[in-house]
Amino acid sequence: MELTWALMIVIYLFTAGLSAGSMITSNLAFLYGGKDFERVSRWGAYISPFPISLGLGVLLLDLGSPFNAYRLFMTLQVRSPMSYGSWAILLFTVLSVIYLYLWLPEKYQIIGHIKSSEKWKKRLAIFLPFLSVGVASYTGLLLNAAVSPLWKAPLLPVLFLVSALSTGLALVILIATLSPWQRARHKELHILTKADAGLIIVECLIIIIMIAMGRLSSASEAMAFGSLLYGHYAWIFWFLIVGLGLLIPFSLELMELKDKIPVKWALSFTISSSFLVLFGGFFVRYIITYAGQTNGWF
Amino acid sequence: MAIRMGFVIITSRCIDCDACMVACRAENDVPLGHTRNWVKSSGVLGQFPKVREVFQPGNCMHCDHPPCVSVCPTGASQKRADGIVIIENSKCIGCKYCIVACPYDARFANPETGKADKCTLCLHRLEQGLEPACVQTCLGKSRQAGDLNDPDSIVSKLIAKYPTRVLLKQVGTGPNIYYIDEPVSEIPEGK
Repeated sequence: MELTWALMIVIYLFTAGLSAGSMITSNLAFLYGGKDFERVSRWGAYISPFPISLGLGVLLLDLGSPFNAYRLFMTLQVRSPMSYGSWAILLFTVLSVIYLYLWLPEKYQIIGHIKSSEKWKKRLAIFLPFLSVGVASYTGLLLNAAVSPLWKAPLLPVLFLVSALSTGLALVILIATLSPWQRARHKELHILTKADAGLIIVECLIIIIMIAMGRLSSASEAMAFGSLLYGHYAWIFWFLIVGLGLLIPFSLELMELKDKIPVKWALSFTISSSFLVLFGGFFVRYIITYAGQTNGWF
Repeated sequence: MAIRMGFVIITSRCIDCDACMVACRAENDVPLGHTRNWVKSSGVLGQFPKVREVFQPGNCMHCDHPPCVSVCPTGASQKRADGIVIIENSKCIGCKYCIVACPYDARFANPETGKADKCTLCLHRLEQGLEPACVQTCLGKSRQAGDLNDPDSIVSKLIAKYPTRVLLKQVGTGPNIYYIDEPVSEIPEGK
């Protein structure tokens, strides 16, 4: 069956979450970690404009009339999540580029004074988490409004928000670990890993509650959630999301946190756990987007 | 009272000739592979030898609370004052949000225009005082269209006389196609 919203939309939902998540990671590390967490804040700032830009590019290609896309910004339709979401994402992308600029090493900051840039960095770091939460959860509201039995789930924006935080954090961990320059220190990674493990627990809880609520709703909704549990999407749900995307990275992170890993393995553990979180996060968007369209009302 | 355009479809009078689909395609230049209206079959119902099959024609329900209109980010999808749901093509960006939001699958992406496409209730024909193409061509007089708020219209008279049902009432879209399953021996006179 040919779907109306396919892989392009999945990529967009995923990348918007990644950007919002790494932005929040950077902001919080900067506000609460200060100098000790400078590398994490820096990497978060460097990453965050890119995934969402890729997502927007892909989204533009998915439009039937891409040359008409400017129409989005000639109006504000308050009842359409895509309308206010487009404005939010436009603002987010512009601010994230400015934020990245403020994090560049001093010699690359051609405009403005370093002193005022520190001040602006702080202001942005205070404002951007709110906008990022908006961007991350908006993707859930977007699907909420298209009343399909699966997408109607009221917890969907929360699931996407937590998944965005978790994947954004994982991307920062991954890049800050792999980078030869400004590599994150053990202490930084320890805290990030702890946060990510916490987010995985929250995500599991939300998934359980969402499914329980869905199964107890109307027959159409129960059927839609059933397709995740034992239907067409079961192998993606259990194997790719629950197994590879949640349980395995959680156990790896737990082992890292308890320092049970020999030093020479530490790097590969960090890399695999954060990669798997990203992998699982992608399939969360995938399964929701696809199953939401193949399961109709009856 | 305000005009509220809608359909009454009498399933017992439908013989699945698909003339409504052909008429719509011819009238509105609908590209092949897509259709603005349809005839769905119930499949075989009952046990041999008492078997039957019900045909259920349909198209855009021109809902009272159309999700396709509220999700549209540019205001291209609109509900007119007379209840007809239309797309203003120049505003449509082809994001397909309305297509996924319609629980009746009444919309599709038109590959020729790159825009969302759907039943217009043959607005251009109504303006000339004609019936929609699918209604005019229906040989069993299964399809009827008109003002649901006007007690003298054919649709209102039918609804008043026979039990009706609407599709997916629980979704809360307030669809404006009323289905009559009982045999209707005579179509009443009216507007």
